Amino acid sequence: MTGSISVIRVGDLLLVTVPPDPDDPTVGELQEGVLRAMEQYDAKGLVLDISTVETLDSFFARTIAETAQMVGLMGGRTVIAGMRASVAITATQLGLTLGGSLTALDVDRALRLLGRGAQGGAR
Amino acid sequence: MTDLLEGEIGIATESDLVVARKAVRGAADSLGFSVTDVTRIVTAASELTRNIFRYAGTGVMRWHRLERGGSLGLELTFADDGPGIGDIEQAMQAGFSSSGGLGLGLPGAKRLMDEMEIASEVGKGTTVTVRKWRRKA
Ligand SMILES: Nc1ncnc2c1ncn2[C@@H]1O[C@H](COP(=O)(O)OP(=O)(O)OP(=O)(O)O)[C@@H](O)[C@H]1O
Ligand SMILES: [Mg+2]
Repeated sequence: MTGSISVIRVGDLLLVTVPPDPDDPTVGELQEGVLRAMEQYDAKGLVLDISTVETLDSFFARTIAETAQMVGLMGGRTVIAGMRASVAITATQLGLTLGGSLTALDVDRALRLLGRGAQGGAR
Repeated sequence: MTDLLEGEIGIATESDLVVARKAVRGAADSLGFSVTDVTRIVTAASELTRNIFRYAGTGVMRWHRLERGGSLGLELTFADDGPGIGDIEQAMQAGFSSSGGLGLGLPGAKRLMDEMEIASEVGKGTTVTVRKWRRKA
């Protein structure tokens, strides 16, 4: 499943769109790809767009929380964007916390939270 | 072809977990569960199939439609011939994990579903059965 994760640069930030139902190797690949790109582009932050994700189980959540923590060690901030209501309800019931990562309703708000996207004026 | 409302999937590789999630989503969708309930059921199935893969290596997931007193439901069974669980009460505690996991799979699946039963014998294997009933609209 190589190539199924793309990391997009938005200024000094990285934007990663998580596929809807990734298998475990793809989730692992996402983490590696993100960390490599953080280093390569000297990025200041990461936005993980999970708006298409329909199932967030404990493995997936742990990898996301871990990735955010690793990005933090590299001096970046992570915002998890676009969690669906059904996923938020399920994740809470399952007992997931995402390690206190920053979250936003959508990518736009996530970018603004990290100090990007305001240049075009408030929308 | 497997019927959407009942079937069986062998769990042996990581991609089987994806196949199992798809099958459960298909069954729950066609039974008319709400979006949130579909998400709950698929998430529980993801936890329980991953437990098979992680602790037993291989096993099987079966699912079928339920009907009781005019209510519709879905039953999922996760069976393996793996090492079994010595202390089920401990395994059901949130935060208990023998593998450095979050220890949320079993207790979480129980909360997400309406009913759950675990039968396990050390050295013989584990069978977890969960059910979800459709709430009347
Ligand atoms: N099918 C199984 N066969 C043998 N042992 C199991 C099985 N399923 C669960 N267990 C045992 O029960 C414990 C708790 O399982 P649970 O799914 O709740 O947490 P976990 O798998 O350790 O972590 P997480 O699911 O949060 O990643 C496991 O650590 C394991 O020891
Ligand atoms: Mg588990």
